[in-house]
Amino acid sequence: MTIYIESMKMYLKSLLEYKKSFIMSFISQFFVFFTYYFMIIALFDKFDNIKGYTKYEVLLCFSIIQFGYSLIEIFGRGIDQFDKLIIRGEFDRLLLRPKNILLQVLCTDFDLIKIPRILQSIIILIISLVKLQTNLDIYKITTLVLMLLSSAILFLSIFILMASYCFITVQGLEVRNLFTDGGKHMAQYPISIFNKTFIFIFTFIIPYAFVNYYPLLYIIGKTTNKLYIISPLITFLYLIPALLSFKWGIKKYTSVGS
Amino acid sequence: MSFINVNHINKTFKVAKRRSGLKAALKSFFKREYQYIEAVKDISFQIEKGEIVGYIGPNGAGKSTTIKILSGILVPDSGTCTINGMTPWKDRKKYVSNIGVVFGQRSQLWWDIPAEDTFDLLKDIYNLNDEEYLKTKNNLIKMLDIEEVIKIPVRQLSLGQRMRCEIAASLIHNPSILFLDEPTIGLDAISKKVVRDFIKKINKELKTTVILTTHDMSDIEALAKRIILIGKGRILYDGTLKNLKEKYGNTRHILVNTNNTIKNITKKGIIKQEKVDSGYLFEIDTNIISISSFLKYLSDIVSIEDVDIDTENIDNIIIKLYKDFEI
Amino acid sequence: MKVYLNLFKLKFMNQLQYRMAAIAGISTQFFFGIVYIMVYLAFYTSNGDTSLPMKWNELICYLWLMQSLFALVNPWVKDNELLSMIKDGNIAYELCRPINFYKKWYATMYGNRLAATLLRFLPIIIIAVILPEPYKLLPPNSITSFILFLISLTISSLLITAISMLYHSITMFTLDEKGIMSLLMVFIEIFSGGVIPLVFFPNFLKIIAYILPFRYIIDLPFRVYSGNIPISTAIPNIGISIIWLIIIIFIGYKLSIRACNKAIVQGG
Repeated sequence: MTIYIESMKMYLKSLLEYKKSFIMSFISQFFVFFTYYFMIIALFDKFDNIKGYTKYEVLLCFSIIQFGYSLIEIFGRGIDQFDKLIIRGEFDRLLLRPKNILLQVLCTDFDLIKIPRILQSIIILIISLVKLQTNLDIYKITTLVLMLLSSAILFLSIFILMASYCFITVQGLEVRNLFTDGGKHMAQYPISIFNKTFIFIFTFIIPYAFVNYYPLLYIIGKTTNKLYIISPLITFLYLIPALLSFKWGIKKYTSVGS
Repeated sequence: MSFINVNHINKTFKVAKRRSGLKAALKSFFKREYQYIEAVKDISFQIEKGEIVGYIGPNGAGKSTTIKILSGILVPDSGTCTINGMTPWKDRKKYVSNIGVVFGQRSQLWWDIPAEDTFDLLKDIYNLNDEEYLKTKNNLIKMLDIEEVIKIPVRQLSLGQRMRCEIAASLIHNPSILFLDEPTIGLDAISKKVVRDFIKKINKELKTTVILTTHDMSDIEALAKRIILIGKGRILYDGTLKNLKEKYGNTRHILVNTNNTIKNITKKGIIKQEKVDSGYLFEIDTNIISISSFLKYLSDIVSIEDVDIDTENIDNIIIKLYKDFEI
Repeated sequence: MKVYLNLFKLKFMNQLQYRMAAIAGISTQFFFGIVYIMVYLAFYTSNGDTSLPMKWNELICYLWLMQSLFALVNPWVKDNELLSMIKDGNIAYELCRPINFYKKWYATMYGNRLAATLLRFLPIIIIAVILPEPYKLLPPNSITSFILFLISLTISSLLITAISMLYHSITMFTLDEKGIMSLLMVFIEIFSGGVIPLVFFPNFLKIIAYILPFRYIIDLPFRVYSGNIPISTAIPNIGISIIWLIIIIFIGYKLSIRACNKAIVQGG
């Protein structure tokens, strides 16, 4: 853990070498993120509900997913950009050091300019909760915390899975957008608005539904079943196959080379 | 049992074929063909503690593959390798604390910040205690003369300064083996000398075993008593540089300036004779005819104005070797 | 001219190497298409279609064309080769070549776009056509609409390339591509109709969008196809888009000359 924090300090130092660029990027990130919810807001200007869900219910859903995604983009950028490590041959260097490989990969890069995304997600989350007049008791707060955590864990797992794919080939990595960007786009709406096949895939294959659908139902009062509070925990299991595949990838890399 | 034992190592890679032309590109878009490349074939050698070994060969000969296997990045298809009693690709974390690797063409330093910060991070990565870290660091700073250099952001350094920091970073954990992959590539004469002197010094003082690959034969001449020549994945020569010179360094080029015309001379030991702008160029085999007897012979026929004899150049030897082995 | 054709061919062949990228691109675009359609479908079916600015059959065409031709109209395309040259100053060498800087990079970028599109659009169109209702891509409104669609799409692709050239030239002044470029691209993406069709915009935004040149990239061609913009309106709009194209090429060209002069003065 020390090396993660030390690496982040170094990253900050290098950022400060380019102050102007950093500030510009920081501002532009604010607007980039705006396009993400522009669609929801604009469409709710014309329509008043989507399969019974109101604007702020959808925005709540959106903010949870965006929070997790941005968090991992910022602090897990090393694993997101893993293909570059492989292409530039820098992964070799990590194999020469006596520390856990995945930890070292995480230490290679950060993306603090995306902090505006986190901030906006939190603001949207709060606005939505207020507008929905949610009465936040201990159960609902627990649910919310678990949702935010599971959102981050799920994206981390997906990023690790995608990084493992880089060990096979770095070509066609654009397919990763399907699972990250695509999944993110989809999961910003309550999953029940989609068709059955989709619901199946994004419940059982990539468990987005446990991040922000089942727990959402509890938060907005569509169910009172307490089991829904802990439903986000299921996504934590998703880390297991992700970590295993990464381990397998390293083994393959050292036997096939680059 | 030697310090480094490499026995019958083999490694084959599968690579996609690329062809030029629109038709071929379209074809491979739908169907891809592969070919197998034997990067190293049955490589064996032993290296003792404290040796400096030059590992040479043309591009694509298998140098990098060997270095990768020795440093544990790559697992061979077959064969064994023990270094300091350990197999590089097993028990990675324990093994890598023993080795330092410098890739001349890749940097391990953070680009935008001073090298000193990278050293501090490496301290944490290698779990070094403050005392030994400071001792090694100060020693390296002194030996490589980088006291000021390590306080400047790496991107502002010259290549020579950066390479010195690079080497320091690879040695900060005091490894017993140092792999150098083309450490002097692109450096100016002074930086090359600093790097070479340093390598000699740590080898002498710390008994660090050094394995270096290079294309610069003057590196080898300055550093390595022993060389291993590899071509097309096989070891072609393993021995001292002196032996190699004796075996292959027997041809010399002599340029003779004269106002006379020299007809074709048929004499034993003269391999080639050629008329060039500034005179005549001879290639002779010094095992058959010595330089002095050649010149004596020549001065008997013509009046020589000036002669220019090439120095005994290791590059020429290597070119000749490559030709002989058809690599 | 032959030089530019060859450049174009080179870029095309370069794209062919990336087989997996093409397949991945196709599946991603297809997936996004389906997700968007389901979102809109959910909106359409949960609200009575009173006063909707687009009929479902028009919207579905818009969405599928958007996905299948994404590589052609996407504002978020950067030429990393050019950008890295700008940043490390190697651009100076580029200016020494006996070939016009603007034309060369215009041809290169256009080649990249067209090649990426040609490799991707057909599979998406084919799948979209054989899908069941209501997901199915429908044929164009009429032959005339289709011809006008093709014309305006051609202008669109030239226009977006000209805009790309513009912001790559700006980067030659600012030397930082991330901040300003992202801002511009966000703006273009929204006002071209890349996020949602402009007709869904709140009124004041719609007015702004219709004045700006960006609507001719996505909004015009894709709505002409389905007849959402009738032929009588389409023709004058195509005229306006040509004027915009000329203006933007002119500005970009002038800007690139100034940027080149600056690069020469600085010595890279």
